[in-house]
Amino acid sequence: MDWGKVKFFLGEVFANLTRNAAMQITAIGTVAVAIAMLGAFLFVQRTAAAVSDQALQQIEVSAFLRDGLDAKADSALAARVTALPGVAHVTYVPKAQGLKQLRDKLQGEVDTSLLTTNPLPDTLRIQAKHVADVPGVATAVKTLPGVVDVHYGAETVQKLMRLLDVAQRIGLAVIVLLVLASFQIVSNTIRLTVYSRRREISIMQLVGATNNYIRLPFIAEGVVAGVLGAAIAVALLLVAQHELLPVVAQLVKFVPFPTQLPDLIPLAFQLLGVGALVGAIASWVSVGRYLRV
Amino acid sequence: MALEEAALIELRSVSLTYPNGVRALDAVDLKIEKGEFIFLVGHSGTGKSSLLRLLYREQVPSAGDVRVDGIAVHRMRAGAIPRLRRNVGVVFQDFKLLSGKTVWENVAFALQVTGARTKDVMRQVPRCLDLVGLAQKSRMFPHELSGGEQQRTAIARALVNNPKILLCDEPTGNLDPSTTTEIMELLQRINTKGTTVVVATHNQAVVDRMRKRVIRLENGRIVGDEERGFYFLGLGQGQVLSG
Repeated sequence: MDWGKVKFFLGEVFANLTRNAAMQITAIGTVAVAIAMLGAFLFVQRTAAAVSDQALQQIEVSAFLRDGLDAKADSALAARVTALPGVAHVTYVPKAQGLKQLRDKLQGEVDTSLLTTNPLPDTLRIQAKHVADVPGVATAVKTLPGVVDVHYGAETVQKLMRLLDVAQRIGLAVIVLLVLASFQIVSNTIRLTVYSRRREISIMQLVGATNNYIRLPFIAEGVVAGVLGAAIAVALLLVAQHELLPVVAQLVKFVPFPTQLPDLIPLAFQLLGVGALVGAIASWVSVGRYLRV
Repeated sequence: MALEEAALIELRSVSLTYPNGVRALDAVDLKIEKGEFIFLVGHSGTGKSSLLRLLYREQVPSAGDVRVDGIAVHRMRAGAIPRLRRNVGVVFQDFKLLSGKTVWENVAFALQVTGARTKDVMRQVPRCLDLVGLAQKSRMFPHELSGGEQQRTAIARALVNNPKILLCDEPTGNLDPSTTTEIMELLQRINTKGTTVVVATHNQAVVDRMRKRVIRLENGRIVGDEERGFYFLGLGQGQVLSG
């Protein structure tokens, strides 16, 4: 290892970074904002994925049974359903129990004492092994004698999926714009540094430095700016996760927050990588313009 | 001159037209042998600098061949330029030193940016500073130096890669007569050590005193090429210029 060479190189990078400090700070700030948004988006996306997974897991097929079947017929039916392919678990809910559950659920919102008769049928609640099995199970169950109707949250599920899809597309477009913006600003900053060092560059070229050698300190400068920006973004995200998330969870109680939040550590490394990449490519592009002879 | 040995620098019917239409060089033929000391004279804008720029591939000729040390510079890949430049040192009228670096750092810079080992930097830089007589001022910054000292620094930088050729574009244009003499003596000494030196100048006194090969340019053409020549054509044949 030639420490003299390392020291010279680091000196050049440091000179670059401090030459346009104000502009450099702007660039780092922009990268930080863009990557914080990207990180927040990825975090929300992963959380949403977890939420929808959980929601899908909870989808069950309700099979409403003909009135007047005796308990023996009901349990025989339950056994047949359990034997169907794709069925994981079957719960038998007699109409009395169903009404009680409904009363509990609507407690305080609707005056359930108005219900003088029990309108609910006996019901089998069928849990599919997999979400994809749900429609097949529903169809199969419907053909069984004694089953009047089946119901599952098909539309709800599809709506939820569509909503998530649209939200993701919009989010992604915003992120792409932000990354492009930070790319542009980093690249402008590097261009300023390159411009203020054009004398050095021309002398480097004059004495026979290769273009790659000339480029290297600028690339390093871009990478440092990108990584610093990303590091600030990661710090912001960590703070947000600890301070903001509990508050948000309080506000949107109706959304079932998944018990297992996505891990921020791999996300942090991905974001740092994105920052480094943006910085490197941006400086490569802006130095390249000056190096054409 | 042995026929089989190629000249160090060779131009064959070289023309250079700038994009703005100015014809800087017009069908120039020129051979410079290893170890020569050459003056390139002529009015400003007559093609001296353009000719030098062809030799370190700052310019590409519009037509003709440029060969430096056997390399066809006129059709060289951009990636090969750095190697040529390490073989051709260049010195300018305005020195082109880095103001934020000391004398030592300015000279070392030329080696460091070519990826030289620190060991070689530590050996080469003092050797060159010794040669130009600046060993005592190596820690000074350019603005603390006289013009002559700044030019010496630039010469040391041009020599630190051990080039075969040293090109000087008006090296004494900014210097007073006595400093000019010192710089020319230094160039003479460098030439004696084996480096081929090409000096573009319009300093008549220098040319007339040193009596080297003089190549005279006029409107982009070579109009004179004399061994032991004078600044003005024909002075070598006995005429004396008044003033």
